[in-house]
Amino acid sequence: MALKKSQQTPADAKDERHLPRDLSGLLTALNAAEPMARRWAARDLAEHPEASAALVERMRIETEPSVTQVILTSLTRLGDEIAVAGLTDCLRSEDAMLRNAAIEAMKQLPDEVAPIMGQLLEDPDPDVRIFAVDVLESLRHPRVEDWLIRVIAEDPHVNVCATAVDLLGEIGSERAAATLRALKSRFADEPYIQFAADLALKRIGAD
Amino acid sequence: MAVQKSISEEDFRTFREFFYRKTGILFEDSKRYFVDKRLLDRMNATGSETFRGYFTMMRFQTSGEELQTLINSMTVNETYFFREEYQFRCLVDSVLEELVERRADDSSPIRIWSVPSASGEEAYGIAIYLLEYWPRIADLDVEIISSDIDTDILAQARRGRYGERSLQQLPLSLRNKYFHRDGDHYRVDDVLREAVDFTRANVTDAAEMRGYRNFDVIFCRNLLIYFDDLSRKQTAESFYDALNPGGFVCLGHSESMSRISSLFRVRKFPEAIVYQKPWEAR
Repeated sequence: MALKKSQQTPADAKDERHLPRDLSGLLTALNAAEPMARRWAARDLAEHPEASAALVERMRIETEPSVTQVILTSLTRLGDEIAVAGLTDCLRSEDAMLRNAAIEAMKQLPDEVAPIMGQLLEDPDPDVRIFAVDVLESLRHPRVEDWLIRVIAEDPHVNVCATAVDLLGEIGSERAAATLRALKSRFADEPYIQFAADLALKRIGAD
Repeated sequence: MAVQKSISEEDFRTFREFFYRKTGILFEDSKRYFVDKRLLDRMNATGSETFRGYFTMMRFQTSGEELQTLINSMTVNETYFFREEYQFRCLVDSVLEELVERRADDSSPIRIWSVPSASGEEAYGIAIYLLEYWPRIADLDVEIISSDIDTDILAQARRGRYGERSLQQLPLSLRNKYFHRDGDHYRVDDVLREAVDFTRANVTDAAEMRGYRNFDVIFCRNLLIYFDDLSRKQTAESFYDALNPGGFVCLGHSESMSRISSLFRVRKFPEAIVYQKPWEAR
């Protein structure tokens, strides 16, 4: 017994598949009993642009977290309208893991998420608006500061504004200064807003 | 007159918090000069007049290219035998012991995957470590596979020829035992060259990853840091399926799987933190 050269080449292992790797075979495998088969199907379906709807559908009923994670990654790679709508739905989920994973996924899709960001920031549910601000944290898009300024200017919910102010402190410019001061007046009785807005103004260099 | 660009204390803190969130690398105050210098270099290269302008551009640039360039400039890429040796110690003292105990009567070989192979120092280093410090190697078979995307570097790894610098951390007794002088270089012994299997693989390519399975331990150190978030996540998910239940992933000291994926369990061994695919995983 000792170190020995591998007897299993990568090519051998490929033959462990039971269904064809075309779209139809993968869609069947996506509903297989074995989680590993579902993970592999979800992973390979990222190469098929027409698979978004099936992935979203599977995500809604999937009970195995490891499969859900792979589906989310594939939806991020596909990044089309159906995929983004599926990710957005997850922001309303009670499952924190799913919600956070969807937020992380949406951060990777600036151009696809941008057209619906306005709508998300006006959602009737303040939690969804907070999650939308969380998406902005790393969304590589030139309008991030504009969206944040709009949130602190208009959003009636203190927690949504607090989340946006924290982020503005990091990435805001002089342009945000007047709205930050206005926010302090709008929430004059909220000590956290006073503190966070002052810190943001200091960081921006406008205090 | 040109205005002197500078990084304020506040800028440094803002950058440090952001960079930690993105990469897991935390710069202490003592690294201020190192960080400032690289930030100023990148500000000059991108024509940014202020830190804030640069920071916003880098964070929200659609391509993410500048963030990647910055990460590359903030990380040092070099490899040598027994780099971060504490992880090898963890392998022999904790990881393999747990695996062997759980495998009970399973006599199939223990499979270790080292990726990226670079010029082979890590894979050969693991082989040496097992032979020297893991007595159970006498009773069990171990396969070491090492992969890289770069075919030139793989050819170099297969040759197993190294300069003095690569061997600087290796005790002299091991250098004498496992290497032969070859001009001003050292050639790794044929026993090791024949034991390690070098293959070409792109870990971000799902199709290529299909063939990499049934591993018990994956060493993937200081690679994921160069990937964007999506590729990192995709690679972690491929590793999950490449591992047997209970298998381990060892990342570089500044990398954290917790920031990439929640698929793995964090295992804090006395020697190192590693990440484990749950035993009950299906």
